[in-house]
Amino acid sequence: MSILEKELEEHEQLEQFMARIEAGDKIEADDWMPEEYRIALIKLISMHGISEIMGALPEKEWVPKAPSLRRKLGIMAKVQDEMGHGQLLLRVAEDLLKPYGKDRDDLMQDLFTGKLKFHNVFHMPAKTWADAGLIGWLVDGAAIITQTNMLNSSYGPYSRALHRICAEEVFHAHHGESIIMALAEGTEEQRQMLQESLNEWWEALLMFFGPANSDTTGSSKQDITIKYKIRTSTNEELRQSFFTKYVPRILSLGLTIPDPTLRFDEEQKVWIYQQPDWSKFKQIIMNNGPRSQARLNLRRVSYETNAWVREALSAAAI
Amino acid sequence: MEQKKTFYHEFEVFSKRTPSSPFQHQFSLLAPNAEMAMIMAQENFMRREPVADIWVVQREHIQGLTREEKVMLKRLDNKEYRETKGYGYLKKKWRYYQQKMFDEKEILSWSGGTKHD
Repeated sequence: MSILEKELEEHEQLEQFMARIEAGDKIEADDWMPEEYRIALIKLISMHGISEIMGALPEKEWVPKAPSLRRKLGIMAKVQDEMGHGQLLLRVAEDLLKPYGKDRDDLMQDLFTGKLKFHNVFHMPAKTWADAGLIGWLVDGAAIITQTNMLNSSYGPYSRALHRICAEEVFHAHHGESIIMALAEGTEEQRQMLQESLNEWWEALLMFFGPANSDTTGSSKQDITIKYKIRTSTNEELRQSFFTKYVPRILSLGLTIPDPTLRFDEEQKVWIYQQPDWSKFKQIIMNNGPRSQARLNLRRVSYETNAWVREALSAAAI
Repeated sequence: MEQKKTFYHEFEVFSKRTPSSPFQHQFSLLAPNAEMAMIMAQENFMRREPVADIWVVQREHIQGLTREEKVMLKRLDNKEYRETKGYGYLKKKWRYYQQKMFDEKEILSWSGGTKHD
């Protein structure tokens, strides 16, 4: 086939592909897809998957310290869910990586070298039990907003994984609410602990949705992901939706949001708020956050310690 | 077939919710062998929902269709003779003979046994 013929064929494939997406069709792993689509999906889903696994770590720290047996069982179930979500999502990413000859081992190596990033919130310390509750309530709340935004993603395997994940996220949201509700209705010290936790996490929560555009961090994948109907809303729309859903609830518990400028502008119909420090965000996602290296080390050590198991079970024929 | 020496074999997981329901595809997972795949299947996909049985199948043992073959699956709309809609005129006929048409809903309702009423 001549180069021209090949280009023509690709052009035709791209047109058919876009027509399928426009028609609401789902793309499957073995379908033809443009390289740009595949790469955007790999970036997004491998980051999402590894974030679930890294996200289990700050909460796992609270399993031995949970204040009651019931709380211990609850948070253990949640940690287990997060690891399960990670497994699901990594499978989706791995099938996309196949043409490049890459597998899970490569993803783990990419995590260790810093090539594969994880969500900013999971670089933060979970110092108190209120932090553990707030992660479930607001970090998972933010995650539910970003994940439901992609529930009907044009990529079938991702959409199916998200349907499974979001169903369990409802439990996570209630689990977090149950912890913070007990603290909000508790002693003065407990309320104080909850307020401090909100102060600590507020900026990270705003960062979670990513910068409004690429001016802040130099690159943004939102245009590509929206073009291919992987997601529907922009980062800023999602952040606004988070305010609308959660600000009234936070205030209803008598908590103070650590941003005196935060208000809803009735005329523009938008929330006005203090921008987080995006240079800090860049530092955090470059693995220079307060707990980045410690958590990466935990992963590295367990990966190395268990290498013999992988080796022993890697029989040629099964 | 020569297999790559790896810990990461792909398995597809199927399960059924109740003893009488059909098997349904759940998702895929990586495991070094079928035994581990079975444990992972329960850990990954059956933490809450009811389950009566599980299958794990190594992905390379599944015969699928190519992209071109999938296009061939699309049916032409000329198979009325295979379907009840090709025989819809009978309803009017039976009415003429003062009888009711035995449609799908009616026939499947017989599963409860014969009623004499």
